[in-house]
Amino acid sequence: EITLRSSDTHPDGYPTVEGVKAMAAEVQEKTGGRICIEVFPSSQLGEEKDTIEQTQFGVIDMVRASFGSFNDIVPVTQTLSLPYLFTSPEHQHAVLDGPIGAEIAEDFAERDLIALAYYDGGARSFYNSQKPIRTVDDLKGMKFRVMQNDVFVDMMAALGANATPMPYGEVYSSIQTGVIDGAENNYPSYDSSGHAEVAKYFTLDQHLMVPELVAVSKASWEKLTPEDQEIMRTAARNSATLQRRLWADQEKASEEKVIAAGAEIVKDVDKTAFIEAMAPVYAKYVTTPEAQDLVKRVQETR
Amino acid sequence: MELWILFGSFTLLLLIGTPVAFCLGASSFFTVLYLGLPPVVVFQRLNSGISVFALMAIPFFIFAGDLMVRGDIARRLVALAGSMIGHLRGGLGQVNIVASLMFGGVSGSAAADASAVGGLMVPQMKARGFDVDYAVNITVVSSIIALMIPPSHNMIIYSIAAGGRLSIADLFTAGIIPGLVLAASLMIATWWVAKRRGYPTEPFPGFAMMWRLFVSAMPGLILIAIIFGGVRSGWFTASESSNIALVYALLVTVLVYRTLPLSEFIEATKGAVRTTAMVLLVIGCAACFGWLLAYLKVPAQLVEILQNISSNPLVILLLMNLILLVLGTFMDMSPLIVITTPIFLPVATAFGIDPVHFGVILILNLGIGLCTPPVGAVLFVGCAVGRISIWQAMRTIWPFYGAAFVTLMMVTYVPALSLWLPSVFK
Amino acid sequence: MKNALIRLAGLTGTIATAGLWIAGLGLILMTVFVFAQVVWRYVLGSSLFWAEPASIMLMGWFIFLGAAVGVKEGYHLSFDVGLMLMPKGWRPWFHTLSDLVVLAFGFGMAWYGWQLAARAASGVVPGLGISRLWDFAPVIGGGVLLVLFSFERVLRRAAGLRTSRFGELDDAADGMPDGLAQGGLAETMLHEPPRKER
Ligand code: NA
Ligand code: NA
Repeated sequence: EITLRSSDTHPDGYPTVEGVKAMAAEVQEKTGGRICIEVFPSSQLGEEKDTIEQTQFGVIDMVRASFGSFNDIVPVTQTLSLPYLFTSPEHQHAVLDGPIGAEIAEDFAERDLIALAYYDGGARSFYNSQKPIRTVDDLKGMKFRVMQNDVFVDMMAALGANATPMPYGEVYSSIQTGVIDGAENNYPSYDSSGHAEVAKYFTLDQHLMVPELVAVSKASWEKLTPEDQEIMRTAARNSATLQRRLWADQEKASEEKVIAAGAEIVKDVDKTAFIEAMAPVYAKYVTTPEAQDLVKRVQETR
Repeated sequence: MELWILFGSFTLLLLIGTPVAFCLGASSFFTVLYLGLPPVVVFQRLNSGISVFALMAIPFFIFAGDLMVRGDIARRLVALAGSMIGHLRGGLGQVNIVASLMFGGVSGSAAADASAVGGLMVPQMKARGFDVDYAVNITVVSSIIALMIPPSHNMIIYSIAAGGRLSIADLFTAGIIPGLVLAASLMIATWWVAKRRGYPTEPFPGFAMMWRLFVSAMPGLILIAIIFGGVRSGWFTASESSNIALVYALLVTVLVYRTLPLSEFIEATKGAVRTTAMVLLVIGCAACFGWLLAYLKVPAQLVEILQNISSNPLVILLLMNLILLVLGTFMDMSPLIVITTPIFLPVATAFGIDPVHFGVILILNLGIGLCTPPVGAVLFVGCAVGRISIWQAMRTIWPFYGAAFVTLMMVTYVPALSLWLPSVFK
Repeated sequence: MKNALIRLAGLTGTIATAGLWIAGLGLILMTVFVFAQVVWRYVLGSSLFWAEPASIMLMGWFIFLGAAVGVKEGYHLSFDVGLMLMPKGWRPWFHTLSDLVVLAFGFGMAWYGWQLAARAASGVVPGLGISRLWDFAPVIGGGVLLVLFSFERVLRRAAGLRTSRFGELDDAADGMPDGLAQGGLAETMLHEPPRKER
């Protein structure tokens, strides 16, 4: 009997957690209870970068983390975390389920991580307490909290806004008191963090669609028989289908909830102008021929 | 077996005098070795546990508190408190409490409060014919007030431990009324003991004197306004307020009071390094310990046990309070916040208790733990300042423990004490 | 033997002093960085996005250097009720056991800190643009000093020299219980002249 410990930073009930739990149920059933996957939600075992390291070292067996947290170790994830790269969730699924997804898996394997499934991380958009934002010009001079990551800082500069890195826990009161004008996140987080109470203008610009990865530690993987590995792979693929549906449902529910609570959703965004403003960011981060080729192939994927 | 190794080696090392930080770190290290896990995880948790921006509030507030003591801010606050209430029954004992209330408005460290206020008050109380144990008892228990009145870096630690999603500004605000209630209960206890022992009062110095002392204490009082107003109005975030307090204290002592020679500044810096390195190493090592608790599913087991005992939130709160009080006697505040929050907060929220309310209960509860042997940093400071043994202090401290416990129960069972004020600011 | 140890103590003393000074400078720099961040945001309306990661890295150095010096100077918080209950002659053995535990943990910090650094080295610290190796450098540095200082304590005790002890009252030079003197903060207060007697 094998117990695999899997980490997630999101709380119980969140689509990523439920996804891995569904995978666990299928694996348990198909192996007659020989393999048991235990999910540790709510960052109990550490933040994403920490749990990725733990998985690489074989301290824990599985991890669910955003591509953004792999940027340091698997450079290709940085290219795939660029703003406005994916145009829709369907576009993203097509890329990750196709040949590009398989290539990335090889890059992960070189770093002792066996990539099993790509989950949905949703689309991040801007929200603020001041005014509805429709054009790039509307953003000029505004202060937004972004994650501590050079790409996002440069993205904000390219849009003419100010990036203010700060701990997530300070965002609510900082918007409330005016230290910052707003922040950016997806619908479910906008809702659950309570930020919708203090920043009611949400602009659906979908600047970031960063995929999520479910990976197994190489050390734990090699202890499994080829048959069990195949069961794991199938269960992971099935769980991805479920997770993507759960995510879409959750987004819909959160959207309805924030609208009912008085948030103003701006959907008529001139997205082309935002995408064009990203030229300096792409020029800075897409420098190698491989990365340029990858961006081109992603854009060509239908 | 793993849990036996973890808790067994921890207790053993604690008993033989290994520093608390290394008790936590080494017992985690041994347990990870026993489990056959790669030991890197222990040191990764150690490093991640301290690489948190909001933790910076600890060195800043401690440094600021030290500068306030050396640079005269603290002494002038105490003198002001003396002129205001020295004439009440219990005289300097009451002053000690009100001074903690004022100092608590600029500092968030109970140990700094005990050494600052106690260092000033205990010798004076001795000279006026108060028994030393009485002076130390009041000094020790009243310094819990500094944890409740904002700023309080322990509230910041709690917010981090709770997953970084709680508003620190709300937590700061929530502590105010419970802090005042605690001060009031302690003043009643002080009055009662003073009456039984027949302690003297100070003559009322007159309003003119009080005004002069008020003016001279002004910079300290302004800092209270800057910290609270600044956080509430958005000049800076709650964790940045620690930095503002430090810069302000430095400016006042150097430019206004002109009481801080360079050599004193260097000493203060070294002192802040020593104290905060010690505290933050404990927090880092507690992160290793906490990781193992999570890995071994201790919180889940505990939730299950509690749920089997009762489904009544009032009973669960009482149980959690008792467990925390016992833990608090054995361990220090910040590691306990880091260790117990992930265990107890899910239980509390599952029973419908507001996380901000729970934070206030937790801080007050563990604050009491700072005043109880065997591990009570504030008790140690108080006894050191009064030059008496812990046992001497313990013999007569009970009325003050009683007052603190009554306050804890009030805060636990009257959520409005904590939650009303933050709701006003919404 | 004793002379050699006294020379060693001179050397480690210098290292400890240097460590304390560097840690103090780190604290002051942290103060400046965070203050600058607030000022920049307010006065200039922009963010110093390097201020936060730089302060966090400084804090790492400051904690581990300060903690290592704390082992040498004996100011860590501890609790030795067990020792009080046992015969006096046993105590040095248990103190030595404590020191060996600290030594082992320090060794772990240096050794496994290095493994973590080696794996992270290819990455870059966000906002600073330097290798993530530096994220773990304080752990490694602090670990090396912990090994050095606790080894010295063991040797000194074996040679019958004085070691400042964790948690023991009136042992350190400042006359305050270790870990509570806070650089003489309470001591300063005691020297304040009490108000004039009537
Ligand atoms: Na306070
Ligand atoms: Na205690």
